[in-house]
Amino acid sequence: MSARGRKKETTLAVQLPPFEEFDTSGGMRVVLARREPIPLVSVRLVVRAGSAVDPAGRHGLANFTARLLRRGTRSMSADAINDAVEFVGASLGAGATEDYSAVSMTLPARHLDAMLEVMGQLVREPSFPESEVETARRRVLAQLANDLDDPGLVADRALTRVLWGDHPYGHDVNGSHRDVSRFTRDEVIAFYRAHYGPKIALLVVVGAVDPSVARRAVERAFGDWRGGPSAPVELPGLHRAAGAGRVLLLDKPDQTQSQVRIGSMGLRRGAPGWIPATIMNTTLGGGFTSRLVNEIRVNRGLSYGAGSGFDGMLAGGSFSVSTFTKTESTGEIIEVALGEIARMKAKGPTARELETAKTYVAGLYPLRLETNESVAAAIAETRVYGLGDDWVTRYRERVRAVTLKDAREAAARLLPGNDPALVVVGNAAKVKKQVKRFGVVDVRSLAELE
Amino acid sequence: MTARALIEVEEARLSNGLTIRLVPNHSVPTVSYYTFFRVGSRNERPGITGISHLFEHMMFNGAKKYGPKEFDRVLESSGGYSNAYTSWDMTVYHEEFAAEALETVIDLESDRMRSLTISDRTLHSEREVVKEERRVRVDNEIVGLMDEELNTLIYKAHPYRWPVIGWMKDIENITRADCEAYFRTYYAPNNATLYVAGDIDPKKTLRLIRSYYGDIRPGPKPLEVIDAEPEQRGERRATLRQPAQAPSLMVGFRGPKATDEDTFALDLVQYALSVGEGSRLTRELVYTRELAVSVGLDWSWRIDPGALVFHLELKPDSDPATVEKALYEELARVAESGLSDRELEKAKNNLGAHLLRELATNSGRANALGTYELLLGHWRKGLELSERYEAITREQVRAAAAKYFDPLRRSVVTLLPSAEGQR
Repeated sequence: MSARGRKKETTLAVQLPPFEEFDTSGGMRVVLARREPIPLVSVRLVVRAGSAVDPAGRHGLANFTARLLRRGTRSMSADAINDAVEFVGASLGAGATEDYSAVSMTLPARHLDAMLEVMGQLVREPSFPESEVETARRRVLAQLANDLDDPGLVADRALTRVLWGDHPYGHDVNGSHRDVSRFTRDEVIAFYRAHYGPKIALLVVVGAVDPSVARRAVERAFGDWRGGPSAPVELPGLHRAAGAGRVLLLDKPDQTQSQVRIGSMGLRRGAPGWIPATIMNTTLGGGFTSRLVNEIRVNRGLSYGAGSGFDGMLAGGSFSVSTFTKTESTGEIIEVALGEIARMKAKGPTARELETAKTYVAGLYPLRLETNESVAAAIAETRVYGLGDDWVTRYRERVRAVTLKDAREAAARLLPGNDPALVVVGNAAKVKKQVKRFGVVDVRSLAELE
Repeated sequence: MTARALIEVEEARLSNGLTIRLVPNHSVPTVSYYTFFRVGSRNERPGITGISHLFEHMMFNGAKKYGPKEFDRVLESSGGYSNAYTSWDMTVYHEEFAAEALETVIDLESDRMRSLTISDRTLHSEREVVKEERRVRVDNEIVGLMDEELNTLIYKAHPYRWPVIGWMKDIENITRADCEAYFRTYYAPNNATLYVAGDIDPKKTLRLIRSYYGDIRPGPKPLEVIDAEPEQRGERRATLRQPAQAPSLMVGFRGPKATDEDTFALDLVQYALSVGEGSRLTRELVYTRELAVSVGLDWSWRIDPGALVFHLELKPDSDPATVEKALYEELARVAESGLSDRELEKAKNNLGAHLLRELATNSGRANALGTYELLLGHWRKGLELSERYEAITREQVRAAAAKYFDPLRRSVVTLLPSAEGQR
């Protein structure tokens, strides 16, 4: 008995590497964690301004700005930046999510000083050269056009619109053709000035480094980054999906398969009830033994993939089911998925399903903390979403504590009832009559998606 | 620190031929369990193309001890998950799980190797799932369509000619008897290699593996695959018409097999040309001349001679012929003058960092070491790659580029948008 008890305890406790933190003289919070033995380091800088603060009529500006950071600074050209970073075997990425913009780097540990210096320049003194703004715009516009050929991506983006409507989360981070066409260099600079600054930024450094050495290097690279906003922009919440009870059918006449999304509002990340919702969802559409996979794939062979999930952001979140099937079985797959949602909403998971889900989620959790990048991302996420420093260490304990009652409540409260929002991308002529029983059908061409 | 200093591998082989590699690492309390079978689409024949991949699906449908649906249920309720992939040359199964589930996983894996159940019912259902997978990956996906077309140009006789997922008609017609014969030959212990990486005690793990797998009988020796591919005597081309927003271009050159010395020089060429924003083709074709949205070069090691495949995603108003010409100009430059000293060193630095990143997780270690063993002949050859790359000279790189980027080795697929579907 005691041996089992002890074993359970050591298994549950997931540790982050010990970390220390400080503020640069400009006021940016820095977290440093030493992790060995592989001689690599991951650096992640997060600025709490993402696509949710894109100006009206300028959707995509946050992501556009973040991606331009590496295309020139006061003292380095884009080529010089690429050469400096890529020569030493480092890799650099930048972009925005709904809630923040991020610059990330993975690098061999011995180049930390030099790479922090480059990263500091990108963030402190980007120059946004006119020619780079134009090149980037043309590339983004071409990419947006080409994305229309990816039915899964089209369905995901349409669902965002359908769920959030005019809310700041209601557009894709990449923006739209119309808005991106209008960006000017001055607008990029104005966005950068309004939304970038040390007081709403966080720098996380994880890997084979001596924290005291890293600390000096960070201060050298970022110490004189000053000014900017003092707090992130606050966003309103949203309680009912804008497109609830409707079916958006996007016509792609060449398709032999329909992409299907079913959605509703969910929870903000880390809100009370987040973990019970996660566990309940694991039984519905998380793991490979979930009800959706079982009913759609295993029992009926209707699809290669089916799943569901809660997507939590700062000011709110959504729930969605994602799957696809041959054109002829579009109506059937939606009916099966809605039936499983209704069954779960009415009664919740069984005791056995709940146990499996808890062990599954708790058992695999350490895999999310296996690399420097994932540890850096986990630390940044706990801070951005205000999850608390014990989020990681106590996660498995909280998973273990979820009761059947908690899971039932989560299902009853959060799963869509009789008015989910639906998106179908496929051959409208063949699909329309199959989906009209699920709500008012709005048939649109892909061009209208923009 | 070199890759070799980070990795410790214990080796064993059971009398039934099962090969075992144990890679202990106690940084997180999880284990990654890989089973490599030496079989892929390379071992198929016309009429049963796609059987390797369909079979990969069948492996999750129940065996003697753990019946239908039990594999995933038992695994997930022990805190683990499973997945698998099929390539031209191998089929690979893996489980990631909490360390205390080790014996359960060994039990599950040995059960299906010993006594997989292949029923008409599960075969029927799984066939439908695979058809949906084909629809999503190939039939409704531009890159999938182009890749399928390109391989039929590059290869005339070798099984690399058909897609790993198989032709739709073959998927529809593979029989239970085909699957049973396939299982007996290719899923026998003498055709398998286990890699167990993570929070394990090697002695205890070996004891468990021996007790669960020891009585599984070896199978017949698989047939040799004959590489009957004739010499290519000139460029091959195809044009696809498909509703699309923009044209696309895919260009393949016949390359060497994985164990060829040139393979490693081509790894460096691949980095210099296409990896990173500062790579030659990205800089030239995407940023300077703005001809493409993105450019990639796939150079995958294979048992038999593989292919270097360029994929260029174009802009809606791009002219594929202009882009093609620009690509060939860049390739001709490498064939003539090779890479600069700095480019070569950069490529070496990047490949070194890539190797370290690959070894950062248990799953990455098991997968990488097993792949090295199956494709290069020994896992240790993978850990020596950094040194191997270091020794490659500018002249070797130039000579490899000149040899393989020869227009006579080239196959080209152009996708042109058909009217429907354009904006």
